[in-house]
Amino acid sequence: MTSTPSSSGNPGPGFRRPVRLLILGLGNVLCGDDGLGAVAIARLRARYETPEGMSILDGGTLGLSLLPYVEDAEKVILVDSIRAEAPPGSFVRLEGEEVGPAVAGRLSVHQVGVADLLDAARWRGRLPEELVLLGLVPETLEVGLTRSARVEAGLPGLVDRVVSEVSRLGFELHPRSHDAACDFDRSSDLARALGL
Amino acid sequence: MTHIVVDPVTRIEGHLRIEAEVDGGRVTDAWSSATMFRGIELILKGRDPRDAWAFTQRICGVCTTVHAIASIRAVENAIGAQPPQNARLLRNLIMAYQCVQDHVIHFYHLHALDWVDVVSALSADPAKTSALAESISDWPLSGTKYFAGVKGRLKTFVERGQLGPFANAYWGHPAYLLPPEANLMAVAHYLEALDWQRDVIRAHAILGGKNPHLQSFLVGGMATPIDLDRQASINDGSIEELRQLAAKAKDFVSKVYIPDLLAVASFYKAWAGVGGGVGNYLVYGDYPEDDGPNPPLFLPSGVLRNKDLSKVEKFDAAKITEHVKHSWYDYSSGDDKGIHPSQGETKPNYTGPTPPYEKLDGTAKYSWLKAPRYDGLPMEVGPLSRMLVAYASGHTRVKELVGDVLKKLGVGPEALFSTLGRVAARGIETLLLTEKIEGWIDQLAVNMHRRQLKIHDNSKWEPSTWPKEAMGVGFHEAPRGALGHWVHIVDGAIANYQCVVPSTWNAGPRDAQGRRGPYEEALLNTPVADPTKPIEILRTIHSFDPCIACGVHVVDARRNLLAKVRAV
Repeated sequence: MTSTPSSSGNPGPGFRRPVRLLILGLGNVLCGDDGLGAVAIARLRARYETPEGMSILDGGTLGLSLLPYVEDAEKVILVDSIRAEAPPGSFVRLEGEEVGPAVAGRLSVHQVGVADLLDAARWRGRLPEELVLLGLVPETLEVGLTRSARVEAGLPGLVDRVVSEVSRLGFELHPRSHDAACDFDRSSDLARALGL
Repeated sequence: MTHIVVDPVTRIEGHLRIEAEVDGGRVTDAWSSATMFRGIELILKGRDPRDAWAFTQRICGVCTTVHAIASIRAVENAIGAQPPQNARLLRNLIMAYQCVQDHVIHFYHLHALDWVDVVSALSADPAKTSALAESISDWPLSGTKYFAGVKGRLKTFVERGQLGPFANAYWGHPAYLLPPEANLMAVAHYLEALDWQRDVIRAHAILGGKNPHLQSFLVGGMATPIDLDRQASINDGSIEELRQLAAKAKDFVSKVYIPDLLAVASFYKAWAGVGGGVGNYLVYGDYPEDDGPNPPLFLPSGVLRNKDLSKVEKFDAAKITEHVKHSWYDYSSGDDKGIHPSQGETKPNYTGPTPPYEKLDGTAKYSWLKAPRYDGLPMEVGPLSRMLVAYASGHTRVKELVGDVLKKLGVGPEALFSTLGRVAARGIETLLLTEKIEGWIDQLAVNMHRRQLKIHDNSKWEPSTWPKEAMGVGFHEAPRGALGHWVHIVDGAIANYQCVVPSTWNAGPRDAQGRRGPYEEALLNTPVADPTKPIEILRTIHSFDPCIACGVHVVDARRNLLAKVRAV
């Protein structure tokens, strides 16, 4: 093999995944409930340290630019707003093959979105070994930094569900000590500015 | 006469609707309508201007850095902060990488499928594909076995009905002209480009702290420390890695993107005569080459009128206005006159039909985008405008690169004013920037070794140092074109904030005088072979690289539907 990009599709003998578990929040924090995934991530990061081998990211609405992060992970938990036949604020969990069709119809500000991301990974033979989507049913996607009351009420439960999912997948999150929670990295300043 | 509706236009960021009249196989009139992200000013009002970039960064998911840059520049302009040299270099690098990544992704992932028939690639001969690839480039991934592998994978997915990223297109349309081997080569490079972007993302992570959203922007400079001896800063090791990443980026652009572009263009030369548009080009200019106010810019600012390359006008920001005669807004002073963005108003007034609707009334208000004008004229913005203004201003390297491309395609400079011209200009700009990046890295390294480590001007950080009232503007040449943020600060807080984004310039509707916007004008005379499969309309619209996302309100984007096209 050369050092140039490896082939299409076939992960190739040199391909390995440096991240064992990725927790990826999705959505636009400027569009009301659409940003609930990013909010859940900010709260998760404020409460827990990120252990070695795990990655907790706010992916926003970056679409295909998130491909390397998804492909680099053995297991992925997506956290997002999910349209479903259920009242706003309801918790939804999908896994494996169910995830693709669900995100294809995702309420999104981007046409090049999560579905394209998963398609591209599948095409390249690099879909994560395990894929789970956790989220809440949104109520409003109007421009604004605040979430609807129902989604806001559902958020603590969503964060807990993410934590249980992490355990189910065989990983463990350690709560931050009080001091560390105040100043763990620059992203916390930004999260605060954004009201997360 | 046939009335065509394309809604939504697929493979773009955001939601765009195009309506066109077709008569005798050609477009005779067109309307561009888009949803609009309205309300950023409401979100920002009353906030600390130093935080504004963190919000504007989220306006658009894909161009996060561009709205951050425009925002910090607007605030710096208002309060008189002057970023030091290292911050300028870091910003130039971040902007250039963003542009390079965007252009490559646009070419392969958003635009190529208008020219490349993926299904035709199934009948390609891998050995001939290898011969073709080796005839145009010395890129190493070019063997028969490699292309056979790509073809096999394609076949598997097509047979399973999992077209994935290649769903939603007019496969088999007679307007596709590439031989199967060129199609297969392009599919292979489509997949390689996804790998390539890893390097750009890695470079951004070094320059801007955490990805996916860069966190190192700071009014007055940057927050990325530069220090030879410190681990947690840009040091010798990171400079070396940046150099390697820059070399790899240039390698891919010069050995894959540009040869592919030339190969594709050589089959579609007729498109050098289609899609000309308004013929006026506006560039704010970017990549400061020096510090202080009014520095020389690597990509110069300027205005061209009426496709005249003999005269570059000086850009004057006071001549920008925005019209709402055909946009779903009201102005307090009435809709017959445009107003300057620094006085901008955003009062929505939706008067359109209740969706879903058959047809827009083009004589009334019909878009959520405003109609920006310069000196009263519609202006095209973007890579074509930048390359034309640089070319007409005598930019040595741009003249060489443009000359090379024109020569290889056997066409004259007039070919640039076209759909194909936009595609070519984007590639030329990408190559130009990948060449330039190395120099900025070198300067950064020199400063670091001289222990000139300053990255932030904190003399204006405290609001107590600001005037009671201040206005500022931040300009940036984003990948898709001229971007401006206008901020009005009163008592240390944001009183008003307006963004005029590139796609508003290009995709906006008619103005108070009834003049069409650039998309609308560019579609005139576009041939349409089959009104139910208007791939030709997509080619011209995609050539602008639409990104309405910074415009988008909220869209229910079901990507698996083929763009709804109706011929009425």
